[in-house]
Amino acid sequence: MKYAFVFVVAWFLAVLNVSAMPYLKVLGVTPDFVLIFAACWAVVRSEDEAIYVVPIAAIMRDVMSSDPVGTSLIAFAPILFLAVIARMQLLDSDFLPALGTVAIASFSFEIIHALILMLTGQGVAVDYLIFRIAIPAAVVNSIFAPIIYLPVRWLSPDQASVLRGTGRLTSPL
Amino acid sequence: MRLLWWLATVVGVGFVSIVLSEAGAIDPARNLTLSVSAPVEGVFHDAASPLDDIYEGIADRGDLVRENEDLQEQVEALQAQLATQQNLEQRLADLEAALAVKQSRPDDQLLAANVIAEEPSSIKRMVAIDRGSDDGLDEGMVVLSKSGTLVGTVAIVYGDYSWIRLVTDPESAVNAQVNATAVAAPSTTPGVETSPPAAPTAVRGVAEGDLREKVMLDLLPPDVTIAEGSLVVTSGLGGNYPQGILIGSVVDVEQRPQSPFKRASVEPATDLSSLETVLVIVNFRPHRLVTP
Repeated sequence: MKYAFVFVVAWFLAVLNVSAMPYLKVLGVTPDFVLIFAACWAVVRSEDEAIYVVPIAAIMRDVMSSDPVGTSLIAFAPILFLAVIARMQLLDSDFLPALGTVAIASFSFEIIHALILMLTGQGVAVDYLIFRIAIPAAVVNSIFAPIIYLPVRWLSPDQASVLRGTGRLTSPL
Repeated sequence: MRLLWWLATVVGVGFVSIVLSEAGAIDPARNLTLSVSAPVEGVFHDAASPLDDIYEGIADRGDLVRENEDLQEQVEALQAQLATQQNLEQRLADLEAALAVKQSRPDDQLLAANVIAEEPSSIKRMVAIDRGSDDGLDEGMVVLSKSGTLVGTVAIVYGDYSWIRLVTDPESAVNAQVNATAVAAPSTTPGVETSPPAAPTAVRGVAEGDLREKVMLDLLPPDVTIAEGSLVVTSGLGGNYPQGILIGSVVDVEQRPQSPFKRASVEPATDLSSLETVLVIVNFRPHRLVTP
């Protein structure tokens, strides 16, 4: 049931990515809600869930775009490792670790994505990729991350227990 | 250890999926996904269009933008007519070549399609349309805007949907031509003026996509002068595009120090970021499709 919900949300965000988001270009790039969703889920929720959620989100992103299916599957892989680092509880809140994960995952996604496209015969200049795509994507996705982070945080088990009246209320930030 | 196994599995499945995807084995699944998603995409796409205006800022500016778009469409249509006329004049002037050109292409048969999605990646410039192989589309077919200017080519075809590679995509390369005048050589005899500039002639180059929403017209001869605003049209060379389709107008010309060629920056005639309806030429078979 949980993964069916993830599937529907990932599909919805992937549809949003290709239909409405291109109208919202910031710094020349569009925010990638699917990547933000996968990164936030991986940080906020458990690793056991992340190993399924990240691939589901990646596949939904691929089938809705013109990329070969599997591209995002590989390019999303660093998210899980970044989330492991983010969950080390160096900070009380998981908001900043989530933002950091989104930023680094966005950067690595663009680099890996470009490398895979190069393998399939499409290329892009390295300086343009880093300075005009990867860095702006890291910044823009971090800016938009709270839109996805907050609902994911409120749906996490400890916050859900608060809603049921069996837990302590904590700030999502 | 578990994460390493996960990584190995994901990368392995990813590469197998890419190979299958490139071979077209996953196309039916993608077609099905797009079929399910298209109505929702259409709603979001239409709903987000006004967001574009809001995002621009002031409410009144939306009307001005729309009016500007209408005027731009009219300018595009007029530019397309002018380009056609210039192309006809060029062909008339070069009678011998004109006679050699076989007028085999009948009136274009155009298939209208709605743009339903846009590639989210910043590395590519592609849009999805609601027409596919079931409507007679094939890879390489030429796509025009409502005004008849070049938009791109069909890149990926599913049963009911297709992805269009825009002319601004880095993978796009179109044989093109632009009117230019030869640079008059300076006179070596004192007191004798240089000869008047020659009449404009068409020079050929390759129009390549540029991620900055522009097209770069490369491989232009260094000994010609190209005026800003000159119209760039398809040359028809290679047989992959019909001749005389307007691509855009020259905004800047540069001569790089170590390059034997000039390069011109071309503004596409159509605003490719707000396409809603496009026309696919279904009766023109690109050369690469008709030859094995």
